[in-house]
Amino acid sequence: MNAEPWLLGAAQLLFVLAAAPLLQGLIRRLKARLQSRSGPPLLQSYYDLAKLFVRSEMVAESASAVQFVAPWVVLGAMLSAATFIPMFGAATPLTTAGDLLVVIGLFALARAALTLGGMDSGSAFGQMGSSRELAVGALVEPALLLSLVALAVATGTTRLGEIVAIGAHEGAGFFDLQWALALLALTIVMLAETGRIPVDNPDTHLELTMIHEAMLLEYSGRSLGVLHLAGMVKQLLLACLLANLFFPLGLRASPDLALYLRGGALLAGKLVLVGVGLALAESTFAKMRLYELPDLLGSASLAGFVAVAITVWQS
Amino acid sequence: MEQLTGAALVVLLVASAAELTGISGRTRAGYWLSAIASLGAVTACTWILADGSTVEFDSWSPAPSLDLVWRMDALGAFFGVVVALVALFASVFAVRYSHRRQLDDALYPLFLLSMLGVAGAGNVFTFFVMWELMALTSFLLVLGDGQAHQRRVAALLYLGMTHVATVLAVASMLLLVDDVGGQGFKELGLAQPGPGARTSLALMLALVGFGTKAGLVPLHIWLPRAHPVAPSHISALMSAAMVATGIYGIARVGLDFLGPGEAWWGIVVMAVGAITAVLGVLYALMERDMKRCLAYSTVENMGIVTMALGAALSFRAAGQDALAAAALVAALVHTLNHAILKSLLFLAAGAVQHTAHSLDMDRLGGLIRTMPVTAGATLVGALGLAAVPPLNGFVGEWMLARSLISLAGGGGTVATRLAAAGSLALLALTAGLALACFVRLFGMTFLGLPRTEVRRREDAPTLMRLPLVALALMAVAAAAGAGGLVRVLRGVPQQLMPATGVRVEDAHRIVLSGGGSFSPATLAVVLLLLAPLPWLALRAAFGRTRRSRGHIWATGVTFGPAMQYTATSFAKPLRLFFRRVLLPERSVRVEYHGTSPLPRRVQYSGRVPAVIEERFYLPLRSAAIWSAQRVRAFQNGSVEFYLLYVFGALVVMLVVARR
Repeated sequence: MNAEPWLLGAAQLLFVLAAAPLLQGLIRRLKARLQSRSGPPLLQSYYDLAKLFVRSEMVAESASAVQFVAPWVVLGAMLSAATFIPMFGAATPLTTAGDLLVVIGLFALARAALTLGGMDSGSAFGQMGSSRELAVGALVEPALLLSLVALAVATGTTRLGEIVAIGAHEGAGFFDLQWALALLALTIVMLAETGRIPVDNPDTHLELTMIHEAMLLEYSGRSLGVLHLAGMVKQLLLACLLANLFFPLGLRASPDLALYLRGGALLAGKLVLVGVGLALAESTFAKMRLYELPDLLGSASLAGFVAVAITVWQS
Repeated sequence: MEQLTGAALVVLLVASAAELTGISGRTRAGYWLSAIASLGAVTACTWILADGSTVEFDSWSPAPSLDLVWRMDALGAFFGVVVALVALFASVFAVRYSHRRQLDDALYPLFLLSMLGVAGAGNVFTFFVMWELMALTSFLLVLGDGQAHQRRVAALLYLGMTHVATVLAVASMLLLVDDVGGQGFKELGLAQPGPGARTSLALMLALVGFGTKAGLVPLHIWLPRAHPVAPSHISALMSAAMVATGIYGIARVGLDFLGPGEAWWGIVVMAVGAITAVLGVLYALMERDMKRCLAYSTVENMGIVTMALGAALSFRAAGQDALAAAALVAALVHTLNHAILKSLLFLAAGAVQHTAHSLDMDRLGGLIRTMPVTAGATLVGALGLAAVPPLNGFVGEWMLARSLISLAGGGGTVATRLAAAGSLALLALTAGLALACFVRLFGMTFLGLPRTEVRRREDAPTLMRLPLVALALMAVAAAAGAGGLVRVLRGVPQQLMPATGVRVEDAHRIVLSGGGSFSPATLAVVLLLLAPLPWLALRAAFGRTRRSRGHIWATGVTFGPAMQYTATSFAKPLRLFFRRVLLPERSVRVEYHGTSPLPRRVQYSGRVPAVIEERFYLPLRSAAIWSAQRVRAFQNGSVEFYLLYVFGALVVMLVVARR
């Protein structure tokens, strides 16, 4: 049995778990600086998680097993998705078991577990958050799919590793109008999926606007920590998709250790840039009303569709 | 296998007779015999399907050129499997569930017989005899005792629509019979007339005629009325198995009889499927009755299957038979998975109704504590229909999405490829909405606090839980063995195209010939490793967590069930997001008392109208009644006037004949 996929898988999972809180800390810090605050330390997310992991839990009397299982399913789905996403090279730990559609499916699985967990206790806040999360998720799904399909149609494959490999090899053809539109769609998807302004606000617990935080209200202790971690992992995975699929230069299909290390360094640099972009986006936009979201997410889907249409037209 | 199939049909007749004559009495022998016959039919049809052969049965002629011919090829055998599989579990469920009513109990085996007959018909005459038997038995089963107004309206609407549709379906097949000069399915399948005005007409007639049975928008209006009013085991059969016979008709005409056709056929079929899928799931989200919600979800899933048939037609028109075969297999896989999941959920709804005496999601809640087994099975069905991997509902949608990407990447004309991209977008929207729909269905029924008091604090009886658990296990098995399932199903396109569309490598992995592979089993293993791993790691690092229970914080007052969201409020964001499609109505009336600024009474009412029914069918009905009344003026009962008509007709005929 070939050991490389296993090693790569272990490396990617450890990277994802280790780097996700750092990216979160970076964005929080940058946002604070943009708002003229000094902000929390870069490593604050690790401290928060460590604190939550040792605390005891308080659960509602009406909670069933669903609430206990849900956080682990959410994290498990995110980690499984990580094994299909190219990170340090164009190779992925799992290749024939799934493709970009499966990654989108795993995001849906995480959303199912998260929303069911939020509804479990019967708390109106949790149910409200779940209701809104699912409504936003339904509109996000076409945009996410279309932005990735634009690349899939251009490269003739749905495997994320192959898309990156072909993109890195052909290079030049990647900076076209359809590329820019698909990138725009994925950027809007990322803002929505990570619960950021203008869709949601990660820093507030005001019931009128809450989406993501409302689903977590009945959680405490380790379960809450795991859900926070899963949210950060999701953010990192979307950032990796954005960084590697749209800026694949320098990634190789069958790298050796040196190329992997170089790819890792490239990825780190790209992720910092994505983090800066997210912080800037959150600081410049204002929160939208919930019922205006279809306009934003619909235009993301439209951008994705036009990207696919141009690709179809040209090929 | 012929003997086994024949025996199954005889057993069904015996079952019907036993119930009709009342011999079975309290033993419920009719349902047990139906279950045994279904088991036999599953075995026989699976064998025919796996063997890849075509079985011809003895025929019987009641009159010249009216031969009853039985013939089962792989396509027919597949739909036989779908029908018999659902029937097996529905029959076992009915033993405890069904309230005894002699006529219904006797009709039930005949309904099964007619559906199996549709799948096994070998010529046009036999097909429509069985088709009509199916329509009439299901009509009577929906009608029941016909005392409730709602049931009567639903049943009559169903009867009317199904007969108009049958006329069109008959016309479609007769057009082809006229060309070929024979009515056997074998000769029709060999003819392959290809593109042309007559074949285009035949396909469109088949799409409308059979599409009514499958519940395609805008012909779906009977489905969400008729399916839910029947008892749950009948609902399961109608919604999981009978709709599939509509798909069978479209596939039989479009992919077997017609052969490679025009490019626009696929575009039309894909578009109808995509619109059906989105509207079906949107209306499912707006329902608060569990069974109506499930019925609308059937509309959605038949839309998805129709999209796959459209993709297959598009690939065939472009001469890419291997990809067409893959799209057809996607349609079959989704039909089977939908049948398993939808019968599971309809039977679960029956169990909920049996125990909680309600199907209204706004009044249920918290049933997971009193009905853990039903809740677990429902969760599997709900997540499956929400198309969440690694469950089986995702498998067919993955194959369809992958086929549509191949079609967008290079399958014929630019219009076809843009249609594929558009269908893909709507498929993604459907999947997102289906997730919302089934999380809502499960969460509102089983999670939270009971919204009304449940008197019976126990799960459904064993004989009702047993089929639920078995169906949930089948859903898991259909996902884990997806590769093996596809290996069997590729025999269907092999007979029709001939191409297989999928490569065989492992029993767990699907490899499409257009590129792309997916292994639900591997994914499940990865998930089962990576979900508990962090749990173990954190436990090892930080020790066990201590848990204490407390009240839900509700701004200082005691939390009560009435403070929860309801199914209606849960759907509100989507109701508003899609308000231009759904056109929801709401009215709020506030009454004040004297000069007090505080309102005395606030009255709220809201509904989501069935737009297609009210904007299209009601005017159509009014127009029909109006013109009938105008025509009635001619029929005034006076003999003189009638003689005048006869004379007038004679004059007109003479004038016409002279020319």
